[in-house]
Amino acid sequence: MRTYLENLPEYAHAIKAFKETVITNVVLLGQEPAPTFKEKAKSQLFLDRLSDFGVDECTIDGYQNPIGIIRGTAKDKPPIFVVAHMDTAVKKDVNHNFVVNGEMITGAGIMDNSVGVGVLASLPFIFKSLDLRFESDIVLAGVVQSIGRGNLRGIRHLLKTWSTPVRGAVCIEGGELGRLNYSSYGMIRGEIECSIPMESGFEPQFKPNAILILNEVINQILQLSLPQRPRSRVIIGKIYGGYKHGLIAHDGTLGFEIQSDSDSMVKTIYNDIQDIVSGTGHESRVDLRLNTISSLHASSIGYAHPLVKSAVAAMRRLDLKPVSEPSESELSIFLAHKIPAVTLGVTRGKDYHLEAATMEIEPMFRGIAQILGVILAIDNGVCDDV
Amino acid sequence: MEAKQKKKIKISLCLPTLNEERTIAKEIVIMKSELMNRFPLIDEIVVVDSGSTDRTREAAEAYGARFYSAADILPDMEHFRGKGENLWKGLYITQGDIIIYLDADIKNIHHRFAYGLLGPLLLTDHIKYVKAFYDRPIAVGKNKMRSTGGGRVTELVIRPLFALFFPELTQIIQPLSGEYASYRDILEKIPFPIGYGVETSMILDIYTKWGLEVIGQTDLDRRVHRNQSTQALGRMAFVIIKTFINRKAKLGLIDLKKKMFDEMIQYNLVENEYRPVPFKMEGLERPPMVEVPAYTEKFAREN
Repeated sequence: MRTYLENLPEYAHAIKAFKETVITNVVLLGQEPAPTFKEKAKSQLFLDRLSDFGVDECTIDGYQNPIGIIRGTAKDKPPIFVVAHMDTAVKKDVNHNFVVNGEMITGAGIMDNSVGVGVLASLPFIFKSLDLRFESDIVLAGVVQSIGRGNLRGIRHLLKTWSTPVRGAVCIEGGELGRLNYSSYGMIRGEIECSIPMESGFEPQFKPNAILILNEVINQILQLSLPQRPRSRVIIGKIYGGYKHGLIAHDGTLGFEIQSDSDSMVKTIYNDIQDIVSGTGHESRVDLRLNTISSLHASSIGYAHPLVKSAVAAMRRLDLKPVSEPSESELSIFLAHKIPAVTLGVTRGKDYHLEAATMEIEPMFRGIAQILGVILAIDNGVCDDV
Repeated sequence: MEAKQKKKIKISLCLPTLNEERTIAKEIVIMKSELMNRFPLIDEIVVVDSGSTDRTREAAEAYGARFYSAADILPDMEHFRGKGENLWKGLYITQGDIIIYLDADIKNIHHRFAYGLLGPLLLTDHIKYVKAFYDRPIAVGKNKMRSTGGGRVTELVIRPLFALFFPELTQIIQPLSGEYASYRDILEKIPFPIGYGVETSMILDIYTKWGLEVIGQTDLDRRVHRNQSTQALGRMAFVIIKTFINRKAKLGLIDLKKKMFDEMIQYNLVENEYRPVPFKMEGLERPPMVEVPAYTEKFAREN
């Protein structure tokens, strides 16, 4: 009898035969705008699609996460979670109409994470078409309020309120194919806000400039000594402020993220930045505030975990080369709950965060087959008794 | 699907194209997935093309649609270029008892565009022709949409004409919509203008031949498409007005003392100089398909 691993290339081939349905899900769901905190319409559409495909139970939880459950054959086995985040970084009024051709799909938010959501919605159809049945219930969850200020609220709520143990989980991200995450950084995401109150009447010409003050903060952050081990870094990711070219900026905001393999190092760096902010604010006599947007603990199941080994085997069987780096997606929350989990990328693409983001269609079929491989591995017990 | 099986009929989807590489594949993918693979409601998807110079053909064939160049259909007849020509030749090349025509430039395509048109035809015996209506948002700026607007030729040209001469037809919310479906035995008995006037003439011909009760309309919610320039709309209006007046004369409702002219001149401002741009429309039309011998032979019809 052939093992599931041996079958994976045939699965990839078979999935390609009904590519129209997978592409339709990617397009219909991707064209529904879903900026963080405004995912309601997309969640309802996702649920409608699951219902159309005959998923046994479809519901929306108290946090608006749409969830479908495919009932398994063994009542004593805990469920397997498969999740993809519903929200994108694309504003609602941006054109969301996708362009499809024989090789590619182009559209805002396609790689992060409309293709992931489309594949998640296609799984019931794929399971049925390939005649795949599982012992565990399969919980297909589109999670809301994930990225940026969403701070992974959807998945946090889902796992906090889920009443039974979870056998294992797969997180689906658009790209890149070959991505295999099994550890997450310790992370603090923050914003430094500088505001200089306007005075009534004539203003002094040489008053402090919010942008220059944030520049000073950046310079001091860059002077911090960061260790190579545990690996640590500060990413300056966003900056905005000011009103017009010829006017001193009265306000400015700097967005940054501290990432490290060690939670204590994250805390140390955060305290250093807090000192920089306090000192600069004091010396410049401006209102400078440090706000924390979100944080995550560092965690990992390790390369030696049978789930990781199974994922590597599935990927190699499909001629995919696994690339592993820490991630800060839904994976972090599963690992924080001691649930073995991995994050996989579905396909290759480019310009992820531009309006003309593009995904390749052909690699997606192997991307889906690897997801099936990992779900089958969990269903065969690789996460049990570890 | 049950109603279709009961009627024992075939249904064809026909997409007329001219340089639609950006939208055609998406239309075919969604229709094939939802209304052929998952729910076998449509039996074939056929693309009839006016001579695209982009990758329309490759995009259509990538997802299994049958692609035809209009010039290659009924090659013994003189070939004309135009949407009406494609629709007319689509009648010859398709097999279905019902034909759904959809424009190929719909950006927010959804399978409701097809099943919404089919519903009244399959479920209501006296309905033989169904027309779509919807909200038509227009693009404002590069990537932003305004939620209402569009349908300018409808509101400025055809609705006033209907109101003046056929007030009953003003019940049709979007008479110029490019999405409609009908039974073959209706479509094959009416002539098809080769250009933009085809929607206008189709409504007038069906109305005068079979009455308003065979015409249905269906709400398809929202349609996003490429917005045309004012000059392009002007040319469309010219063709539609001419088609309308010709039809009235043909039906004996007005007496034209003199043949109408075929040409309209528009002006472009280029480097402070107004340059004339002539536009010619001869008002050619194809006869009812049942009058074409090759068709009656193929479909075993008696003329």
